[in-house]
Amino acid sequence: MATASVSTPVKTHHGIFSSKTAGGRMPLTPSPNTRATPRASDESSPFTPQKADAGCEKPKSIYGGNLSSYFAKSSGSKSTVPKPSISKPSVPKTSVAKTSAVAKSSRTHRDSPKSNIARTRQSPKHLQLGVSDWSLTGTGPASSSQTPSKERSRRELTTRTRPTKTTVRISHNAGDRFIPNRTASEGLVTSGAAKPDDSQRPKTSGSEGSTVLASAASAFDISGRAVEDDLTAALDNLGLDDNEPPNYTRPAPDAVAYESSLAKACGVNLNTRILAFKPPPPESSKPIDLRAQYNRPLRPAKSQNAQFRRRVQTAPERVLDAPGLLDDYYLNLLDWSSGNQVAIGLERNVYVWSAETGTVSCLLETSPDTYISSVKWSGDGAYVGVGLGTGEVQIWDVEEGAKLRSMYGHDSRVGVMGWSKHTLSTGARSGLVFNHDVRIADHKVAELVSHTSEVCGLEWRSDGAQLATGGNDNLVNIWDARSLSAPKFTKTNHRAAVKALSWCPWQLNLLATGGGSYDRHIHFWNTTTGARTNSIDTGSQVTSLRWSNHYREIVSSSGFPDNSLSIWSYPTLVRNVEIPAHETRVLHSSLSPDGQILATAAADESLKFWKVFERKPGSSASASREAGVGSKAQLTKSMTIR
Amino acid sequence: MAETKDKSKVHKLSIRGSAKLVSEFFEYSINSILFQRGVYPPEDFTTVKKYGLNMLVSADDQVKAYIKKIMSQLNKWMAGGKISKLVVVITDKETGEHVERWQFDVDIFGKNSKSQGSRKAGDNENAAPGDNNTPAPEPVEKTEKEIQEEIQAIFRQITASVTFLPVLDGDCTFNVLVYADADSDVPVEWGDSDAKEIKNAEKVQLRSFSTNNHRVGTLVSYRLAD
Repeated sequence: MATASVSTPVKTHHGIFSSKTAGGRMPLTPSPNTRATPRASDESSPFTPQKADAGCEKPKSIYGGNLSSYFAKSSGSKSTVPKPSISKPSVPKTSVAKTSAVAKSSRTHRDSPKSNIARTRQSPKHLQLGVSDWSLTGTGPASSSQTPSKERSRRELTTRTRPTKTTVRISHNAGDRFIPNRTASEGLVTSGAAKPDDSQRPKTSGSEGSTVLASAASAFDISGRAVEDDLTAALDNLGLDDNEPPNYTRPAPDAVAYESSLAKACGVNLNTRILAFKPPPPESSKPIDLRAQYNRPLRPAKSQNAQFRRRVQTAPERVLDAPGLLDDYYLNLLDWSSGNQVAIGLERNVYVWSAETGTVSCLLETSPDTYISSVKWSGDGAYVGVGLGTGEVQIWDVEEGAKLRSMYGHDSRVGVMGWSKHTLSTGARSGLVFNHDVRIADHKVAELVSHTSEVCGLEWRSDGAQLATGGNDNLVNIWDARSLSAPKFTKTNHRAAVKALSWCPWQLNLLATGGGSYDRHIHFWNTTTGARTNSIDTGSQVTSLRWSNHYREIVSSSGFPDNSLSIWSYPTLVRNVEIPAHETRVLHSSLSPDGQILATAAADESLKFWKVFERKPGSSASASREAGVGSKAQLTKSMTIR
Repeated sequence: MAETKDKSKVHKLSIRGSAKLVSEFFEYSINSILFQRGVYPPEDFTTVKKYGLNMLVSADDQVKAYIKKIMSQLNKWMAGGKISKLVVVITDKETGEHVERWQFDVDIFGKNSKSQGSRKAGDNENAAPGDNNTPAPEPVEKTEKEIQEEIQAIFRQITASVTFLPVLDGDCTFNVLVYADADSDVPVEWGDSDAKEIKNAEKVQLRSFSTNNHRVGTLVSYRLAD
């Protein structure tokens, strides 16, 4: 036996493996020695010392180790010594196993030298255990040749590991007879390995067996150090593979014929099977709307919108008193010049506040029988047009503080005015709009007749090609500067007076108009086609509208009930911010020449300045309106006013 | 699996390498389809660089494990040349109706001539008049780069297909089918199934790619909007 002590690495693997599994299966017989150091047992000439132990201490656990070592030896054909000891008991087993090959193999075993028999007999129990193991591990087919290859033995070992375990346990219970052992062990085998057919069926198909063995072998090879997990995994695989063949039932021949004809008819290839992966796929963690996925914004909606990120100061930059400001929706008493001066009409006076210096000067005071109904800076910021309650229109040189001329024609108050180069358009309570060429004595160059009620909104397009007017008759008229006999378009969509008018600085033919208390809408018009392109219901009276020069936004001021300023994105028409601006309705608004600050005047007799379109630092001054204003200023500077 | 031949510096794929490449393609296809068709929420996916593209693969442990299980068996079958089709079927959870079916046809060059027969006939229509007698045009040996480009084109198409595929309403689930040879080993998780064809399906043939040993065609069929 001592001669058998030489063990190859492979053998040691076996030893470890089997002893471990065996130990694991035997809760009642803890053998710290063998279990804890299974390899040690193998290394130190597995056979002899263990046997000595086996006799007195724990036969079973040791036994597993012995088995493997047996195996290794027999397979390694290094020494045939162990074979005989095993072979004898195995005879009945193998015969039961129904393979002639097994029988033969057992025979060969038996034929092998008997020198060791005596030893094994010394411990009958041990012998017995060895027997059962042997039979189950099926030395049979694989070891039919007298000198089985190492690999084969390995396969056998792995394939039959479970039986080994179970038999060990049984032998413990069942004492020392073969037959009870075998039956019991078989039962256990079937239950444990879950492959009844395999073990029972006389001929497991060659291919199947080979795959089983191959996979087991490969698993074993890979496992290398004989990690138990790998082995069990391999065993599991085996179980699966073994389970499969029973599922596959070969159809009867005529059925095949029928099927084939059927298949031919259906164009199905009989040689293929459609297989589905049966386990259900994992549930989706939440419902998915593909539409949202396809339009998924790059960034979350909250931070996506540049306009949202833009912070708008909701507190006014500056508040000035505007005592005596008339609370009259139809007047236009506030204007901010390109020269950065704010003109405001307070009852009978026009004051000019310089935004640069903060100084205020009173430009004029009317006669006591009338009041200021409108003020409007000329494009160059040098002159201011003043409309009076009497219908008189005056033009003042602000720097000189002198009136340049008075223009008469309206017989009712002039509530709104607009400059286009040297043309001053004035809208009056009568509904008439006059164009005055301020350079010539016979100033009235056109009479625009359409409105039937007071004109309160009037705005020239920056290029002077179109004029929009709005009136208390709820109409918006769009005039072509070249043919003023009739409006190009008359829009009747508003249901209240239209005071708020604003031309879009970046899209010339886009006009925004806002309606009064009963309308509350902002409409957007394409003034080339006359089509309404968009609308907003603001929820309150729209008193003024101003487009931003550098944001795609428009600000509206509102009267009852909000008295607020609202900034809208265009064309999304999302209200970006709403600023509660005044205690009473906001009557007038005007943008600073740099387009950043909005001045608002309200019936609470205050003038407030809001940094609503504050430009981001570093952004270029790209305001088309400013450019327009600038060029206009150049032009108007050179004109002469008589 | 690419081994360099001395005579030509191009990498050529052995049959095993080719099978590996094809099954890898399947894995990414399944992932892409799951993402593109919204079977799982988009945040469950992460991008990985593959085929020169940003491929989206599931990061969900369960889904990953599920696909891994499928792929482990698929790899074996592919290596054995047992598979003629891989099908991903998308099914409406509520109605149980199959709404979309992605089919990947696998041809193994020189395996069985009969399945290829019909295709050959079709190809011959396009062949030059002189060489009508030549059998299957021997696949030109491709470099890995060329193969990758072909695969890339397929994934671009799969991604682009969302533009014409109908929007999938409601919760959907998916199944993987394979058309395997009758003599294949079949583990317990896999069972015989019907083809899960879609009724009144509209079919769109997408691009294909081929290695020196395999040719993989892509076909998507979907339920016509009613």
